[in-house]
Amino acid sequence: MLIIAIGNRHLRFKFLMSKGLNRFAILVASATFFLIIAGALVTSNDAGLATSDWPLSNGQFLPPMVGNMFYEHGHRMIATTVGLLTIGLAIYIRFKDKRFWVWRLGFFALFAVVIQGILGGLTVKMMLPLGVSAAHATLAQLFFCTTVSLAVFTSKSWIEARPFREEHANTPLRHMCTIALVMIFVQLVLGATLRHSAKWDQHLPAQLLVAHIVGAFAVAVALGGATLSVLRRHAGEKFLTRPATIALVLLVVQLSLGVAAYLTRLGSPDDPQPLHPMIGITVAHVACGALVFATTIVLTLRTYRVLPATEAAMAMAGQES
Amino acid sequence: MNKQTKVWLVLSIALSLLALGSACGGSKQPVTNEANTSSASGPYSGPTGTVAGVVSYEGTPPAAKKIDTTADAACGKANPNLMTDDTVVTDGKLANTFVYIKDGTVDGGKKLTDYTWSTPATAVQLDQKGCHYSPHVFGVQTNQKISITNSDQTQHNIHWIPKTNPEWNQSQPNGAPAIEKTFARPEVLIPVKCNQHPWMKAYIGVMRTPFFAVSGTNGAYEIKGVPPGKYTVVAWREGGTNGTEKTFEVTVPANGAGKADFSFGTGPATTSTKPSLTMMPAIELPMMHK
Repeated sequence: MLIIAIGNRHLRFKFLMSKGLNRFAILVASATFFLIIAGALVTSNDAGLATSDWPLSNGQFLPPMVGNMFYEHGHRMIATTVGLLTIGLAIYIRFKDKRFWVWRLGFFALFAVVIQGILGGLTVKMMLPLGVSAAHATLAQLFFCTTVSLAVFTSKSWIEARPFREEHANTPLRHMCTIALVMIFVQLVLGATLRHSAKWDQHLPAQLLVAHIVGAFAVAVALGGATLSVLRRHAGEKFLTRPATIALVLLVVQLSLGVAAYLTRLGSPDDPQPLHPMIGITVAHVACGALVFATTIVLTLRTYRVLPATEAAMAMAGQES
Repeated sequence: MNKQTKVWLVLSIALSLLALGSACGGSKQPVTNEANTSSASGPYSGPTGTVAGVVSYEGTPPAAKKIDTTADAACGKANPNLMTDDTVVTDGKLANTFVYIKDGTVDGGKKLTDYTWSTPATAVQLDQKGCHYSPHVFGVQTNQKISITNSDQTQHNIHWIPKTNPEWNQSQPNGAPAIEKTFARPEVLIPVKCNQHPWMKAYIGVMRTPFFAVSGTNGAYEIKGVPPGKYTVVAWREGGTNGTEKTFEVTVPANGAGKADFSFGTGPATTSTKPSLTMMPAIELPMMHK
């Protein structure tokens, strides 16, 4: 029986696992994270309209990268690279991965990055209307979510056979993690809207600010509860405890960055221009928010992988093997 | 796909494209010139006077701040000691205050806006020099041309953010020809910024009438050619979300001068040295919801 089990596991790997694809998916997710940082730098430096045209900048493919053009055109260059990488990833998945739903996710990523590019162009041509800018920032996080998920689904740790773990608690961890994930996403939307509703030389709108602070408490409770429950209930399972620990640490860092970002932003309207530490801390807050989101995605997907609670999950696991 | 689905799909795509097109071209739509739609009764002809005064700053003005131009070497080279110019005070006198006649009645009972006021043929110059707008505050009449030039060895963009006129943003690389623009609607005051160099700011007052002026470095201003009458004069200065306004009721005699002094800062409000004028205490209005 043991020999058969090992043989099945080997066949499953051979059938599904591609190290190259997984590395490429990680590369795309990392590039997307870098792109989110570049986008945050554009907003914090008020560089979004440094050039009035799109997709070229001042009619040039490579304009002088001086002043805020460095951030705006730099963001466009990184975005183009991510777009090309996503095309490559969708094609790579199509040829290397046998799972139809992973193909579909790959093409969804491609669709999302195209829409994201159009939103980026629209926000420039329409001169940064709040709705479009906030949608651009929100879709960035959704796209990041997709690329991180693809990196998870193509990883060895996801594909290899894993025993399902029993859950005896009343509240399933997968539900707790999903709730935390949804709350983080809502909080990211609130944060994006808050950031785009006032430039560096304007005060932040009080109502949105309060909503974002309330959201931070809600996320702290939801994610804190989910991660601590993972650590308590599945102490020996690194597959779950590792992302839970990272998410918990990042949550603490993110809350601290949020307080620091608010304090530095308070004095910004009196500054002659966007200055550090306001820029650095605010961008770090955005980046850390994306990391909290990514880690929670990994954690949530993994809880669905090893903590089956529904027949559908069992069926999905059965399809893969 | 059945026929009904196809119809809906085509309709949805067409509507989306229409919305996209209208969104992209929204800022280019012509704006109705309110000056032309008013019930004007022709040009004013008769005796005129002036409104003049001095704008002071009471208390200690905020110190000018050094601007970091390291992001663009051309700015640092052209203007190595670039400082903020939002509060320029010399011997207690405040420069860059936009003073204008907001409302009032000409002797005889008509409003200023009941007359037509011709638009000057000469364009107002707005130059980008040393990564700084010159002038920092200025006024134009509706439909009067503004000629925007770039004297720097670097690229700029001119981005104005009005509330009633259309928003506009245009790149102007070094060496590019002058750009001419106009405003169709009166609006006080329109912020102008350069997103490439975020410290660059200017303000434009757009008026239907020619009755406005900007205080010089000695704080003095003069509005000429004002028909005799009773007017509300407003002084606006930048700062805060939408700037700060002070108002003054002034009577302009025929061939004479109405005097309206303004005071900003932490000191006492408006003063006037001419007892014959109708005066009201100045009201400082932080224009939070303008």
